[in-house]
Amino acid sequence: MKNKYIFIVLALGLLFGLSCEKELLTRADYTDYAFAGIDEKGGSWKPILLSGASQIVIPEPKEVTSDEYKTELNNVKLAMSTLNTAQREKIAYWTNNPILRWNEIALELATKYNLIPEPNADGSYPVPDAANPGKYPLFPYSHPPYTCRALAYLSVAQFDGLISAWNYKFKYNRKAPYEVDNSIVPAYAKTALPAYPADGAVVAAASRDILIAMFPLEKDYLIAKANENMVCLTWAGVNVQSDLDAGAIIGSEVAKVALQRAGSDGMKKAQTPRAVSDSIKAAALNRFGWQWDNQETPVRPVGLAPLFGKVKMWNVPTVEEVRPPVPPKPGSAEFNVAVQELKDIAKNLTTEQRKIANWWSDGLNTYTPPGHWNRFAKNFLIKYKFNPLRSARTLAYMNMAIMDAGISCWDAKYYYHYPRPIQAIPGFKTILGTPNFPAYTSGHSTFSAAGAEVLSYIFPAEAQQCQAWAREAAESRIYGGIHYRFDAEAGLTQGKNVAVYAVNRAKKDGAE
Amino acid sequence: MKNHLTRIFLLVLSIGYVGILKAQTPSDDLLMQKREFCVALLYDAGSWDQYWEGARLRSNANIGTLSKKAVTSMVAYGITNKINLIATLPYIQTEASGGQLKGAKGIQDLNIAIKGEIFNQQVGPGKISFLATGGFGTPVSNYLSDYQPFSLGLGTNEWSLRGILQYRFDNGIYFRGAAAHLWRGQTKVERNFYYNNGAYYSEWMNVPNALNYHASVGTWLFNSALKIEANYMGLRSTSGDDIRIYNSPQPTNKVEIDQVGFFAQYFFKDIKPLHGFSALAYYSKMIHGRNMGQFQNFGFGISYQFKI
Repeated sequence: MKNKYIFIVLALGLLFGLSCEKELLTRADYTDYAFAGIDEKGGSWKPILLSGASQIVIPEPKEVTSDEYKTELNNVKLAMSTLNTAQREKIAYWTNNPILRWNEIALELATKYNLIPEPNADGSYPVPDAANPGKYPLFPYSHPPYTCRALAYLSVAQFDGLISAWNYKFKYNRKAPYEVDNSIVPAYAKTALPAYPADGAVVAAASRDILIAMFPLEKDYLIAKANENMVCLTWAGVNVQSDLDAGAIIGSEVAKVALQRAGSDGMKKAQTPRAVSDSIKAAALNRFGWQWDNQETPVRPVGLAPLFGKVKMWNVPTVEEVRPPVPPKPGSAEFNVAVQELKDIAKNLTTEQRKIANWWSDGLNTYTPPGHWNRFAKNFLIKYKFNPLRSARTLAYMNMAIMDAGISCWDAKYYYHYPRPIQAIPGFKTILGTPNFPAYTSGHSTFSAAGAEVLSYIFPAEAQQCQAWAREAAESRIYGGIHYRFDAEAGLTQGKNVAVYAVNRAKKDGAE
Repeated sequence: MKNHLTRIFLLVLSIGYVGILKAQTPSDDLLMQKREFCVALLYDAGSWDQYWEGARLRSNANIGTLSKKAVTSMVAYGITNKINLIATLPYIQTEASGGQLKGAKGIQDLNIAIKGEIFNQQVGPGKISFLATGGFGTPVSNYLSDYQPFSLGLGTNEWSLRGILQYRFDNGIYFRGAAAHLWRGQTKVERNFYYNNGAYYSEWMNVPNALNYHASVGTWLFNSALKIEANYMGLRSTSGDDIRIYNSPQPTNKVEIDQVGFFAQYFFKDIKPLHGFSALAYYSKMIHGRNMGQFQNFGFGISYQFKI
């Protein structure tokens, strides 16, 4: 009989235990919201790549009194009258600010493709091939330089597209379906924004085309996502079909402009052949008397993206003007102090330090540090109820600054070609994997300082928090044993210096 | 009652796997009598130089050989003649021969199991018995489950229910089978974003539940002083993702194991000064797996049994 009681107790314990399970979010938890402002003058803001807001031309819309419009409006009402649960969930997913979802999709794809190639049986390493993306190793390998660049083009295309959309919205002033017909109850918060062209469609089309170029194997997925995003705008009662069509024109056209820049920005040459890599290394040895060597087994013959430092910058005229000073010579007193700190930390690592190291790790199979800062930015956009245009502006300036910071950081990494702690300290072991590129300066520090600088400008009330995050991200690499303190400190300064260029440009774009 | 340590064999084996199984509840047929204690100290050495990435067996020179050593203390107690309480606590140390990643060490999970005999009857030339165990395990240190393959364990609570069926011939030969369901909770990791066939924005990871099987055939020799056994252990996660190419494992992985082994235990029952002591040794090897290092383990231990 006793057995029975025991099993009852166990069963209760099991139920209790399972009921404690946390719900695991697979996306940001937010709903549509009323925008803090609609930026009526947004059409006059200075775009990044377009010559002006009317460079891309769309047809003049039909009047809301026209038969064509009435037919479109009826189609909207018909669709809205038969919505099922799945459709309503999709409407709720996309919200009235799809900038946020598309950024989230980009981060998920960056994560999915952020896997380093494994060695071949003979000890050599294969390289992803953009011309044959489905062959292992899949293209792309979305490491931090790749990801920061993808995010920059995504955000810039969205931003320029929305400036163009805003221009036409206020030029034509065509109302939203729910304003034309007050029997329509929109699924999203009402706004005074004119509906033509649909800003959501601009974002969907531009994001789709940029991300297809960046993640070619995801083409079908991205097309389906964009179609879903667009149809939800009619289901939500905020746009008619011709609003979408015009928005899609702008989105596609602005993506072409952005991808044209991407095609010639130098990224194709960033991952060099062995001979080029060796000559870069030899130049550093000749110049400074040291060189970084990969410590993996088998040795990776070429570091990650040795010529990413030559990629075209967005807002900094020359990479040399933001290059950090020469790091301490290995064996010097300053170097020895940094090494001793690493040894002391490794020996007495606290729980808090371990957590900070892991919290910011953002390594393989994650959205990388640039992704981490995009996540912070999205949280602020939601908190401050930014409209899509202002959201895109925030992300565009932040991601340009982060990409420029990455370029500057990679310039320093391969110019100075500085050895990592595991190379310089015999027998040194770490709790984080050491990346396949030189130490000086720290990428995390540089990316983070740049992200923090732009977010501090856009959200002054969050500046202190952002700076604290950047500092912690920098420290995390020291706790992880993969960077010296001087890598982190120089990276923080460098990232901030680079971001100042983006902030200065933002101050003059007409949005203030 | 002298052969109660068979159960420890499985306990020890279970902590040899990269923590995927954690300590298990006993899966043998044995019970101690009321107010009888058994204390034991066990040493286990497990290692692998190949692991299954999904279903593909591979090596990684930046790990080389991963070794995992464990010292487990155990205490068992007879609440009644039919109900036993068993507790185990392992200390584990892991390290890799290749690469520059630091190993891990520390106390893993406290496991407590209650075992009860439901049925035991002479049928033909032997006895048939059926037992059930319920177990609970929980981490007792702040080890990081998301530091694989060095992690000490899965870093989550585990509840288990197991049924054990045995037929033992009067001449000492026995056949035994056991099946269990393991319910795992979630493990808290030190980041709030990860990939598990899609993005997750959480500090928590779901650790898959699993089914766990044991089968053994053995016999008693030398007037029941020596027990030898050949055995099989199987584990099947009921959900989970595969390790991605050249990526680290994580607690969300779908784990499968098929393992075979040998076990021997000697009871010093006829040697007066050692009365109450036993010594055991075993060896096991995984022959098939998924998202798991191909462990080979050996271990030994001593136990002392007494009554209060």
